[in-house]
Amino acid sequence: MPEIFIDDQRFEFEGNPKVLQFVLDQGLELPFFCYHPSLSIPANCRQCFVEAGTPVFNRETNSYELDENGDRVIRWFPKLMTSCSLEATDGMVIKTHRSSEKVARGQKDTLEFILINHPLDCPICDQAGECPLQIQTYKYGPEGSRFEHKKVHKPKRVQLGPNVVLDAERCINCTRCVRFTDEISKSKQLSIVSRGDKNYPLTAPGTEFDDPYSLNTVDICPVGALTSTDFRFKARVWEMNQTPGIDMTGSKGTNIDLWVRNNLVMRITPRYNPDVNDHWMPDEARKDYRRINENRISRPSIKLDGEQVKTSWNNAMLTFNEETGKVKPSEILVIGSPHASVEDNYVLSKFFNRLGVSDVHFANDIEKGRGDDFLITDDRAPNANGCRFLGFTEHDPAALGKAVSASGVKMVVILGDDLIGRGAFPAEAVQGKFTVFMGTNNCDTSNAANLVVPITCSAEHAASYINEAGRIQRTIPAKETVYTSRRLNLEMSLGRLDHFATKFDNWESDDNKVDCIPAWEFLIRLVQETGGDLTYTSSREIMDEIASAIDTFSGVSFERMDDEYGIPLKKENQPQGKTV
Amino acid sequence: MQDWRTYEPLLIPSIKDLHKIDVYEKNGGYQQLKKVLSDKEQTPEAVTNTVKNANLRGRGGAGFNAGLKWSFMPKPDGGPRYIAANGDESEPGTFKDRMIFEYNPHLFIEGALIAAYAMSIDAVYVYIRGEYRSWITMMQKAIDDAYAKGYIGKGIMGSKMNCEMYVHMGAGAYICGEESSLMESLEGKRGYPRVKPPFPAQKGLWGRPTTINNIETLANVPLIIKNGSEWFTSIGAKGHPGPVLYGISGHVNRPGVYEYPSGMLITELINDVCGGVRGGKKIKAVIPGGSSTPPLRGDSLDGVRMDADSLRDAGSMMGTAGMVILDEDTDMVDLVWRISHFYHHESCGQCTPCRDGTGWLEKTLLKIKNGEGEIRDLELLLDICFQMEGRTICALADAAAWPVRYSVARFRDEFEARCKKSIYAVA
Repeated sequence: MPEIFIDDQRFEFEGNPKVLQFVLDQGLELPFFCYHPSLSIPANCRQCFVEAGTPVFNRETNSYELDENGDRVIRWFPKLMTSCSLEATDGMVIKTHRSSEKVARGQKDTLEFILINHPLDCPICDQAGECPLQIQTYKYGPEGSRFEHKKVHKPKRVQLGPNVVLDAERCINCTRCVRFTDEISKSKQLSIVSRGDKNYPLTAPGTEFDDPYSLNTVDICPVGALTSTDFRFKARVWEMNQTPGIDMTGSKGTNIDLWVRNNLVMRITPRYNPDVNDHWMPDEARKDYRRINENRISRPSIKLDGEQVKTSWNNAMLTFNEETGKVKPSEILVIGSPHASVEDNYVLSKFFNRLGVSDVHFANDIEKGRGDDFLITDDRAPNANGCRFLGFTEHDPAALGKAVSASGVKMVVILGDDLIGRGAFPAEAVQGKFTVFMGTNNCDTSNAANLVVPITCSAEHAASYINEAGRIQRTIPAKETVYTSRRLNLEMSLGRLDHFATKFDNWESDDNKVDCIPAWEFLIRLVQETGGDLTYTSSREIMDEIASAIDTFSGVSFERMDDEYGIPLKKENQPQGKTV
Repeated sequence: MQDWRTYEPLLIPSIKDLHKIDVYEKNGGYQQLKKVLSDKEQTPEAVTNTVKNANLRGRGGAGFNAGLKWSFMPKPDGGPRYIAANGDESEPGTFKDRMIFEYNPHLFIEGALIAAYAMSIDAVYVYIRGEYRSWITMMQKAIDDAYAKGYIGKGIMGSKMNCEMYVHMGAGAYICGEESSLMESLEGKRGYPRVKPPFPAQKGLWGRPTTINNIETLANVPLIIKNGSEWFTSIGAKGHPGPVLYGISGHVNRPGVYEYPSGMLITELINDVCGGVRGGKKIKAVIPGGSSTPPLRGDSLDGVRMDADSLRDAGSMMGTAGMVILDEDTDMVDLVWRISHFYHHESCGQCTPCRDGTGWLEKTLLKIKNGEGEIRDLELLLDICFQMEGRTICALADAAAWPVRYSVARFRDEFEARCKKSIYAVA
């Protein structure tokens, strides 16, 4: 196998990797700005310099030429090479800043150049704390600057589009944003304007940066030049916990990170998954944090004399058991949800199977023409396939509306799906029927329900979702509820404040916790109330049972999902599902 | 070697109305194209070899053997192949190609077509700097005439050869004279130089094999085909043969473009060709080949000839042979600042060292020019030059750094005289 020597250490490689990517893949560090693994290679920041050489091959003797010590004779490239654009060849020798003064000087010089026109105001910059320029300057940069002149001034606070703000002075012209719109989102809306040290990215005159993927440029911007209109100056990176999750606004299953401070999700950013969304996510999905933070249902409520009043969990459970006792199983219509997790749906179906209800229904949430062929899908629900694979009966919303209105139905149980709000049926359709709504947010359906049970949302529980391609992925709790604790739940990520803050620090607060529990937990509590046999203590356990009970899910576990960034369920095992 | 005094111009001969196609034809025009198209022995390989053996070195600045460059083109695979003829001429001090556009455009067209034949080219793009409005019109007229006579287009002169030719107007960027950004510009993109490899011969215009030659280089080709490579190598300097258009400007009595063999003594060019320095003054400095080439001191010109080897030994470069003569009254600090100002303005801004280094150089030089500089600023200048040289995609950073580096080195006393006495130790 071809070999390459990096700082006198031998590595083997396959194919034609670029030196920078290969070095990074080995877990070694090299500074860079303009390079991005999913974009083309412009080699313009000149930060990833290395010294490179190739061994001299003697064709006559068919061997490498050796010097008097028996070492290979190396022909060095005369200039410093940008490792991002340098292709590895057999026997190549690379010297990084770790072994070459010349490279260390080159990297330092580039940083000195970048910083002469870059504002040195990190404390007030939104990027501080997650800024490659800041980090690399500390590691590789000069101690001070020899620049004694006025910096170049460029436009600041330019609203490029609805979601992105530009500070041209911070821009280091890496062109990542331009290449993103050229190569990934293909809107070609950004271009570098002007020349030399006056240049910066901008849209064409009279147009705005309304690309549906525009906020990805903020993620890949290596400085604070592009910021999100929505998030800028709201929170510092080091005050937030970063927790992996799954996007809930479409069936693509986009992998995301939730950034939480004080139990509020401050922003959502994409998480790398080469099989699903690469490094990207749509702008619309980033606004989903509002659903998690705002308008949440906290504490159960009951409708008394046409008015919804808050009640206790005990009362909610008593009422539920009482009402189910009043009706025959055939009079209960159970509606699962493509917006809820596999575990919640599974326990829902299992719970009502015990009571003798054989069918669970769900209404798909498809908006024709919404999707593109990238990351936005027609399907607005993250888990329609989960419902299908569990054998639920799929309806169009209107068809489900008819089923609800049927006169034989006396009780309707709806899991986390605003069916009235999205027009499946009018509120009058459930009048006179005891309606239970287990949901996360106040909505038309919760207003119409007789019993409202607040349940955890994707940011508060560990649960799995199956995307349109049949890939099962799971979330990790990112924010606390009234009943969970970051310090006790080992799965939850701990940020700087969790590690170091105490109850007595004024930045630590118990605010913003929602009084809710996972839907499955509510259901098994109901069972336990009556001495039943459903005894799960965690969603992990539920998934283990699903994996052993249903063929489609065989071999699935939380551990595997974590290790493999989600598991594609075997095609041949996937049931076609019942459609009405 | 033929004496330059008896030399008859070949690229821009003194024939009235030579730019008209009838006059050009009467004077043997398009006969060399006919020769390569009809003569069975003149295969594309044979033409390439003739040019290669003539050691025709590129007149655009780098001085690379043109025939050798042609031989880098891969074998035709059926897809389109291009020539980009570089008439951007944006290096300050350079104004030679416009003489060809104005006085002998058909010589260039014929040369480009011979090159197209040698490399099986489908289209020639003539990239002319945007400021050359009238010359663009002239060139377009010449091409239209050649189309009308059947020298360009389908089935050229009854042969199987097809080749189109287009004039492209630049938009006023120095960097678009660099071959890879010229291609980006032709493609309608921002003029950013490309990372090499891949080289243009593999992936050039629209990802297809492309050769970029200077206008003057291509204009030499019909002469080589007519008289053979041995004749060509006998003209002028040994390692850098052929006629050269010397564009001489600055403080001389008769500035202008002069055609003479390569390897002319600089002193002869100034004193005999251009009638000496204005006002009989002494020469302080000579920039031999456009603003990016290191200036030579006026007292070190003895025996220095205008060819690549002699100039290299003297510590400069041939460049485009756009000479700038500066007399003893010239303020070198002023001059270098102005050159730096140009490179600062023209840096495309792609690579960090050039984008920010050119500005830093200019600002530091301005400080010295204004009498606010300190001795340590000279060391800083040299250090900035070191940090720029060889660290960028194209050679603009080098072009910006060299005039500064060599001026500071060769005229240090002048720079020091403008600086304040430093209270710090010299770094």
